[in-house]
Amino acid sequence: MDRNKQHRQVALMRQSLFDQGLLDEQFVQLEELQDEANPNFVEEVVTLFYRDSARLILNIDQALDKSPLDFAKLDSYMHQFKGSASSIGAKKVKSECTLFREYCKAGNGEGCKRTFQQLKKEYALLRKKVETYFQLARQVGPVETACRSK
Amino acid sequence: MEKMGFGNVTSTSKTIKTIDIEKKISVLIVEDDLLIQKIHKVIMTKFGTEVQLAANGKEVVDLFLSGASFDLILTDLEMPIMDGIEATKQLRSMGVTSMIVGVTSRNQDSEMQAFMKSGPNACYVKPLNAEKVTAVLNELKNN
Repeated sequence: MDRNKQHRQVALMRQSLFDQGLLDEQFVQLEELQDEANPNFVEEVVTLFYRDSARLILNIDQALDKSPLDFAKLDSYMHQFKGSASSIGAKKVKSECTLFREYCKAGNGEGCKRTFQQLKKEYALLRKKVETYFQLARQVGPVETACRSK
Repeated sequence: MEKMGFGNVTSTSKTIKTIDIEKKISVLIVEDDLLIQKIHKVIMTKFGTEVQLAANGKEVVDLFLSGASFDLILTDLEMPIMDGIEATKQLRSMGVTSMIVGVTSRNQDSEMQAFMKSGPNACYVKPLNAEKVTAVLNELKNN
Protein backbone atom coordinates (compact mmCIF):
# COMPACT_ATOMS: atom_id res chain seq x y z
CA MET A 1 0.00 0.00 0.00
CA ASP A 2 1.54 3.35 -0.91
CA ARG A 3 2.44 5.87 1.78
CA ASN A 4 -0.41 8.27 1.02
CA LYS A 5 -2.96 5.49 1.32
CA GLN A 6 -1.39 4.38 4.60
CA HIS A 7 -1.53 7.90 6.00
CA ARG A 8 -5.16 8.19 4.93
CA GLN A 9 -5.90 4.93 6.71
CA VAL A 10 -4.31 6.24 9.91
CA ALA A 11 -6.25 9.49 9.61
CA LEU A 12 -9.53 7.63 9.07
CA MET A 13 -8.84 5.37 12.01
CA ARG A 14 -8.10 8.39 14.18
CA GLN A 15 -11.29 10.13 13.06
CA SER A 16 -13.36 7.04 13.82
CA LEU A 17 -12.26 7.25 17.46
CA PHE A 18 -13.98 10.65 17.65
CA ASP A 19 -16.96 9.71 15.46
CA GLN A 20 -17.70 6.71 17.67
CA GLY A 21 -17.66 8.95 20.73
CA LEU A 22 -14.68 7.18 22.26
CA LEU A 23 -12.51 10.30 22.42
CA ASP A 24 -13.20 14.00 22.78
CA GLU A 25 -11.41 17.32 22.31
CA GLN A 26 -9.05 16.68 25.22
CA PHE A 27 -7.26 14.05 23.10
CA VAL A 28 -6.68 16.70 20.44
CA GLN A 29 -5.22 18.97 23.13
CA LEU A 30 -2.76 16.21 24.02
CA GLU A 31 -1.82 15.76 20.36
CA GLU A 32 -1.13 19.48 20.14
CA LEU A 33 1.31 19.18 23.03
CA GLN A 34 3.33 16.52 21.21
CA ASP A 35 6.41 17.88 19.47
CA GLU A 36 10.10 17.15 18.89
CA ALA A 37 10.84 17.70 22.59
CA ASN A 38 8.08 15.23 23.54
CA PRO A 39 7.73 12.98 20.45
CA ASN A 40 5.81 10.18 22.20
CA PHE A 41 3.84 12.35 24.59
CA VAL A 42 0.37 11.10 23.68
CA GLU A 43 1.28 7.43 23.93
CA GLU A 44 3.12 8.04 27.21
CA VAL A 45 0.10 9.77 28.71
CA VAL A 46 -2.28 7.07 27.46
CA THR A 47 0.03 4.42 28.93
CA LEU A 48 -0.14 6.19 32.29
CA PHE A 49 -3.92 6.15 31.95
CA TYR A 50 -3.87 2.37 31.40
CA ARG A 51 -1.72 1.96 34.50
CA ASP A 52 -4.00 4.16 36.62
CA SER A 53 -7.07 2.37 35.25
CA ALA A 54 -5.77 -1.13 35.99
CA ARG A 55 -5.17 -0.19 39.62
CA LEU A 56 -8.52 1.54 40.01
CA ILE A 57 -10.49 -1.25 38.30
CA LEU A 58 -8.94 -3.74 40.72
CA ASN A 59 -9.74 -1.52 43.71
CA ILE A 60 -13.32 -0.97 42.59
CA ASP A 61 -13.88 -4.67 41.85
CA GLN A 62 -12.69 -5.52 45.36
CA ALA A 63 -14.79 -2.78 46.92
CA LEU A 64 -17.91 -3.95 45.05
CA ASP A 65 -17.41 -7.44 46.48
CA LYS A 66 -17.69 -6.20 50.03
CA SER A 67 -20.89 -6.05 52.00
CA PRO A 68 -22.19 -3.58 52.92
CA LEU A 69 -20.87 -1.39 50.12
CA ASP A 70 -18.76 1.59 51.13
CA PHE A 71 -20.22 4.18 48.75
CA ALA A 72 -17.85 6.90 49.90
CA LYS A 73 -14.84 4.75 49.03
CA LEU A 74 -16.37 3.69 45.71
CA ASP A 75 -17.09 7.32 44.88
CA SER A 76 -13.53 8.30 45.74
CA TYR A 77 -12.08 5.61 43.45
CA MET A 78 -14.41 6.58 40.65
CA HIS A 79 -13.56 10.24 41.11
CA GLN A 80 -9.92 9.34 40.43
CA PHE A 81 -10.91 7.22 37.45
CA LYS A 82 -13.00 10.01 36.02
CA GLY A 83 -10.11 12.43 36.45
CA SER A 84 -7.77 10.17 34.51
CA ALA A 85 -10.35 9.48 31.80
CA SER A 86 -11.02 13.21 31.40
CA SER A 87 -7.30 13.89 31.07
CA ILE A 88 -6.94 11.76 27.95
CA GLY A 89 -10.36 12.56 26.51
CA ALA A 90 -11.87 9.12 27.10
CA LYS A 91 -15.42 10.33 26.54
CA LYS A 92 -17.52 7.19 26.97
CA VAL A 93 -15.47 5.96 29.93
CA LYS A 94 -15.91 9.37 31.55
CA SER A 95 -19.71 9.17 31.06
CA GLU A 96 -19.87 5.80 32.77
CA CYS A 97 -17.78 7.19 35.64
CA THR A 98 -20.30 10.03 36.05
CA LEU A 99 -23.22 7.59 36.05
CA PHE A 100 -21.50 5.34 38.58
CA ARG A 101 -20.97 8.30 40.91
CA GLU A 102 -24.65 9.18 40.65
CA TYR A 103 -25.53 5.66 41.76
CA CYS A 104 -23.05 6.00 44.64
CA LYS A 105 -24.73 9.21 45.78
CA ALA A 106 -28.09 7.45 45.60
CA GLY A 107 -26.72 4.47 47.53
CA ASN A 108 -27.76 2.18 44.67
CA GLY A 109 -25.44 -0.82 44.79
CA GLU A 110 -27.02 -2.68 41.88
CA GLY A 111 -26.77 0.44 39.75
CA CYS A 112 -23.09 0.75 40.65
CA LYS A 113 -22.38 -2.87 39.75
CA ARG A 114 -24.27 -2.68 36.47
CA THR A 115 -22.58 0.57 35.47
CA PHE A 116 -19.16 -0.73 36.40
CA GLN A 117 -19.60 -3.71 34.06
CA GLN A 118 -20.48 -1.31 31.26
CA LEU A 119 -17.53 0.92 32.18
CA LYS A 120 -15.13 -2.02 31.92
CA LYS A 121 -16.53 -2.84 28.47
CA GLU A 122 -16.11 0.75 27.29
CA TYR A 123 -12.59 0.86 28.71
CA ALA A 124 -11.63 -2.42 26.99
CA LEU A 125 -13.05 -1.22 23.68
CA LEU A 126 -11.25 2.13 23.94
CA ARG A 127 -7.98 0.47 24.83
CA LYS A 128 -8.21 -1.99 21.93
CA LYS A 129 -9.03 0.69 19.36
CA VAL A 130 -6.47 3.20 20.58
CA GLU A 131 -3.73 0.58 20.71
CA THR A 132 -4.55 -0.49 17.15
CA TYR A 133 -4.42 3.15 16.07
CA PHE A 134 -1.07 3.80 17.75
CA GLN A 135 0.34 0.59 16.29
CA LEU A 136 -0.66 1.55 12.77
CA ALA A 137 0.55 5.13 13.25
CA ARG A 138 3.95 3.84 14.41
CA GLN A 139 4.22 1.49 11.42
CA VAL A 140 3.31 4.17 8.92
CA GLY A 141 5.47 6.85 10.51
CA PRO A 142 4.93 10.60 10.56
CA VAL A 143 3.49 12.52 7.63
CA GLU A 144 6.35 14.05 5.66
CA THR A 145 5.97 17.80 5.23
CA ALA A 146 6.69 19.31 1.83
CA CYS A 147 9.92 21.28 1.55
CA ARG A 148 10.47 24.10 -0.86
CA SER A 149 13.51 23.35 -3.02
CA LYS A 150 16.36 25.86 -2.72
CA MET B 1 -19.00 25.44 37.52
CA GLU B 2 -16.07 25.34 35.09
CA LYS B 3 -13.82 27.79 36.87
CA MET B 4 -13.30 30.67 39.23
CA GLY B 5 -10.63 32.26 37.12
CA PHE B 6 -9.68 35.14 34.98
CA GLY B 7 -11.87 36.55 32.19
CA ASN B 8 -14.07 34.45 29.96
CA VAL B 9 -12.72 31.05 29.03
CA THR B 10 -14.45 29.47 26.06
CA SER B 11 -14.76 25.72 25.94
CA THR B 12 -11.96 24.84 23.53
CA SER B 13 -8.84 26.32 22.08
CA LYS B 14 -7.26 24.94 18.95
CA THR B 15 -3.84 26.53 19.22
CA ILE B 16 -1.36 27.32 21.90
CA LYS B 17 -0.76 31.05 22.02
CA THR B 18 2.74 32.17 22.92
CA ILE B 19 2.89 34.78 25.63
CA ASP B 20 5.50 37.45 25.19
CA ILE B 21 7.10 37.60 28.62
CA GLU B 22 10.20 39.43 29.75
CA LYS B 23 11.50 36.74 32.07
CA LYS B 24 10.79 33.08 32.50
CA ILE B 25 7.95 32.55 34.89
CA SER B 26 8.71 29.95 37.54
CA VAL B 27 5.89 27.51 38.12
CA LEU B 28 5.42 24.92 40.83
CA ILE B 29 3.02 22.15 39.84
CA VAL B 30 1.57 20.45 42.88
CA GLU B 31 -0.09 17.18 41.90
CA ASP B 32 0.01 13.61 43.19
CA ASP B 33 -1.35 11.99 40.02
CA LEU B 34 1.53 11.21 37.63
CA LEU B 35 -0.69 11.42 34.55
CA ILE B 36 -1.93 14.92 35.37
CA GLN B 37 1.56 15.93 36.51
CA LYS B 38 2.95 14.96 33.10
CA ILE B 39 0.27 16.81 31.15
CA HIS B 40 0.53 19.96 33.21
CA LYS B 41 4.34 19.91 33.11
CA VAL B 42 4.40 19.68 29.31
CA ILE B 43 1.75 22.33 28.82
CA MET B 44 3.47 24.80 31.15
CA THR B 45 6.88 24.10 29.59
CA LYS B 46 5.41 24.73 26.16
CA PHE B 47 4.31 28.14 27.39
CA GLY B 48 7.95 28.90 28.16
CA THR B 49 7.78 28.65 31.92
CA GLU B 50 10.27 26.96 34.22
CA VAL B 51 8.57 24.07 35.93
CA GLN B 52 9.21 22.27 39.19
CA LEU B 53 7.06 19.49 40.59
CA ALA B 54 5.73 18.66 44.05
CA ALA B 55 3.54 15.71 44.99
CA ASN B 56 1.54 17.19 47.86
CA GLY B 57 0.90 20.32 49.90
CA LYS B 58 3.52 19.56 52.53
CA GLU B 59 6.27 19.48 49.89
CA VAL B 60 5.16 22.93 48.76
CA VAL B 61 5.23 24.38 52.26
CA ASP B 62 8.64 22.80 52.91
CA LEU B 63 9.98 24.27 49.67
CA PHE B 64 8.95 27.77 50.70
CA LEU B 65 10.29 27.26 54.23
CA SER B 66 13.64 26.31 52.69
CA GLY B 67 13.73 29.62 50.82
CA ALA B 68 12.39 28.63 47.41
CA SER B 69 10.01 30.94 45.62
CA PHE B 70 7.82 30.66 42.56
CA ASP B 71 5.81 33.13 40.52
CA LEU B 72 2.94 30.69 40.12
CA ILE B 73 1.73 27.65 42.04
CA LEU B 74 -0.68 25.34 40.23
CA THR B 75 -2.14 23.06 42.83
CA ASP B 76 -4.45 20.10 42.89
CA LEU B 77 -6.91 20.26 45.73
CA GLU B 78 -7.08 16.62 46.79
CA MET B 79 -3.72 15.21 47.72
CA PRO B 80 -2.40 12.90 50.43
CA ILE B 81 -0.48 14.21 53.47
CA MET B 82 -1.59 17.82 52.90
CA ASP B 83 -4.27 18.94 50.46
CA GLY B 84 -4.37 22.10 48.35
CA ILE B 85 -6.67 23.99 50.68
CA GLU B 86 -4.47 23.48 53.74
CA ALA B 87 -1.31 24.19 51.77
CA THR B 88 -2.77 27.46 50.45
CA LYS B 89 -3.82 28.53 53.96
CA GLN B 90 -0.34 27.84 55.30
CA LEU B 91 1.42 29.60 52.42
CA ARG B 92 -0.71 32.71 52.83
CA SER B 93 -0.18 32.75 56.58
CA MET B 94 3.57 32.54 55.89
CA GLY B 95 3.22 35.70 53.79
CA VAL B 96 3.66 33.99 50.42
CA THR B 97 2.29 36.29 47.73
CA SER B 98 2.85 34.00 44.72
CA MET B 99 -0.12 33.53 42.46
CA ILE B 100 -1.88 30.36 43.56
CA VAL B 101 -4.26 28.66 41.13
CA GLY B 102 -6.18 25.55 42.06
CA VAL B 103 -6.82 22.82 39.50
CA THR B 104 -9.45 20.34 40.55
CA SER B 105 -11.47 17.44 39.20
CA ARG B 106 -14.32 18.50 41.40
CA ASN B 107 -16.58 21.11 39.83
CA GLN B 108 -19.04 21.56 42.68
CA ASP B 109 -19.61 25.17 43.69
CA SER B 110 -19.30 24.32 47.39
CA GLU B 111 -15.90 22.72 46.92
CA MET B 112 -14.54 25.57 44.88
CA GLN B 113 -15.95 28.06 47.38
CA ALA B 114 -14.18 26.23 50.20
CA PHE B 115 -10.91 26.40 48.31
CA MET B 116 -11.34 30.08 47.42
CA LYS B 117 -11.70 30.90 51.13
CA SER B 118 -8.15 29.66 51.72
CA GLY B 119 -6.73 32.55 49.71
CA PRO B 120 -5.84 31.47 46.16
CA ASN B 121 -6.18 33.67 43.09
CA ALA B 122 -8.30 31.34 41.00
CA CYS B 123 -9.51 27.80 40.55
CA TYR B 124 -10.07 25.79 37.38
CA VAL B 125 -11.53 22.40 36.62
CA LYS B 126 -9.05 19.84 35.30
CA PRO B 127 -7.53 19.37 32.93
CA LEU B 128 -5.68 22.56 32.13
CA ASN B 129 -5.74 23.56 28.50
CA ALA B 130 -4.09 26.27 26.44
CA GLU B 131 -6.91 28.70 26.99
CA LYS B 132 -6.90 28.43 30.78
CA VAL B 133 -3.11 28.70 30.92
CA THR B 134 -3.20 31.79 28.70
CA ALA B 135 -5.69 33.43 31.05
CA VAL B 136 -3.53 32.63 34.08
CA LEU B 137 -0.28 33.82 32.53
CA ASN B 138 -1.89 37.00 31.23
CA GLU B 139 -3.18 37.76 34.73
CA LEU B 140 0.28 37.09 36.16
CA LYS B 141 1.90 39.33 33.58
CA ASN B 142 -0.59 42.13 34.25
CA ASN B 143 0.08 41.97 37.98
